Amino acid sequence: MKFTVPIGPQHPALKEPISLRMTLEGEVIRDADIRLGYNHRGLEKLAEEKTYLQNIYLTERICGICSHSHTSCFVQAAEKLLEVEPPKRGVYLRYLVAELERVHSHLLWLGVAGHEAGFDTFFMYTWRDREVVMDILETISGNRVHYSINTLGGVRRDIDEAQRQHILGSLDILRRRTEYYLHIGANEPTFVGRLAGVGYLSKEQAVALCAVGPTARASDVARDVRKDDPYGMYAEVPFEVSTAQSCDVLGRTVVRVKELMQSYNIIEFLLKNLPDGPVAVRSPRRAKPGEAIGRYEAPRGENIHYLKSNGTDKPERLKVRAPTLGNYAATIEMLKSGFVADIPLIFAAIDPCICCAERTVTLVNGRTGEENIVTMSQLRAQAQERFKSAPMKKDAVWPF
Amino acid sequence: MNDAQIIERVAALLGEKVTDITNPSVRRIYTKAEPQNVSSVLAVLKDSLGFTYLATITGVDLGENFEVIYHLANEYTNLNVRTQIPKADPHLGSVCGVIPGAILYERELQDMFGIVVDNIPDPRRLVLPDDWPEGQYPLRKDWKFQRPEEKIPGGKTS
Repeated sequence: MKFTVPIGPQHPALKEPISLRMTLEGEVIRDADIRLGYNHRGLEKLAEEKTYLQNIYLTERICGICSHSHTSCFVQAAEKLLEVEPPKRGVYLRYLVAELERVHSHLLWLGVAGHEAGFDTFFMYTWRDREVVMDILETISGNRVHYSINTLGGVRRDIDEAQRQHILGSLDILRRRTEYYLHIGANEPTFVGRLAGVGYLSKEQAVALCAVGPTARASDVARDVRKDDPYGMYAEVPFEVSTAQSCDVLGRTVVRVKELMQSYNIIEFLLKNLPDGPVAVRSPRRAKPGEAIGRYEAPRGENIHYLKSNGTDKPERLKVRAPTLGNYAATIEMLKSGFVADIPLIFAAIDPCICCAERTVTLVNGRTGEENIVTMSQLRAQAQERFKSAPMKKDAVWPF
Repeated sequence: MNDAQIIERVAALLGEKVTDITNPSVRRIYTKAEPQNVSSVLAVLKDSLGFTYLATITGVDLGENFEVIYHLANEYTNLNVRTQIPKADPHLGSVCGVIPGAILYERELQDMFGIVVDNIPDPRRLVLPDDWPEGQYPLRKDWKFQRPEEKIPGGKTS
């Protein structure tokens, strides 16, 4: 007997209220369906009525966690159309903020993963450490969420020597803390057991469904725009693409922890090799007719902006593809043949800009057809209950 | 492989199926194909050159025609295949058979431009609300947003 269970639209992903419909057989998910549009803001239409400069601040508001990703991606495309080349120091500062944003986003995600797995201490640790990055971002840009640091032809603020030393000092703290997380799996086998084997996405499926970011990399697809299509100064920065072979939520955790370490190295490299000079150049307001594509590796995966100009100071067309949309098709595949209790974990694992709103789920009892509304916290409690009695996955290993 | 080698391979493999191969900046290649050939072009690019990854599909309203751009990427470069379909009869073949990950982008295209994607595995609405009126396609250039007049039930009529 199969039942269809609606989850959402008021639900787990904070910024994107989304409706998931699960077809269940007992506790096993047989099919999943996704419905978007509850938070569609008509942004692509709006962008056609705003100037290039105004659009930077518009695209910044697409997302509240990776706000810098969207502006950087837009600015990359717009600078190509306006034929303006940002000075080297400006480029370094732009991607310094980008890497700091990746650190804060990944720390946030690790906390959410710990929380969904029932490991709340981990959540509190990572979110405390995240404050260190947030403080750095605040000293650089004056803001914690929307940094507004990008402009056409560079960045809006410079950093001084004291700030540079402050960031390098804070980086030491973050490194020490992340090394501790590297060993957490060795000390905490229940955490590893909870994540291993959940939300399986094979390499073939990840390729076929065009998964992006840590989701693809955890399925051993080494897809990283910073390496494949090095924008900015990434061609000169030494770093490695982090991958994992386990194709599950454990792999996605491992990839993000590895990427944190890579990001610290990149930040250190950028600060130690920060060139002198201006941070921005003046940019023209009008662009000649043409088109450009900005590609950017956001914390969640590839972000792509297509920009077409028509000779005025406003774009003819702006197309935005955020990484979460690219991962939805893969999420459906991951949910299939999983358990109801794994929904929060699998869905959180693609990092759909979560800030954990309380959500309600209608659970239908397969035998009696009885419906009951449960909140996210109850569902989480049920999930933890289930895994208390579940056999430990003895073969799951923490790779560090 | 650099851009020039990829362009050479694309031209050799696809011959007359693609035209106007341009390379305006590094790692950005644009090419054009007829709408009925898009699926086969994408299949060749996927199998022979490793363009397995479809980043997204962009629709552009050109007035008389719609331009649809398939943004592909592999580990070396970014390749964009564009095609044009008449606005009066906007039909496009689905590429889900070649790249299953295209489904959400095709559904979005149907919603926002009113392009009919033939043989799409799942033609339901994706982003527009269920009670959205038929025949309203927000990203067409002639579509202007008009806030509907507010009617308060039992309120004053003026």
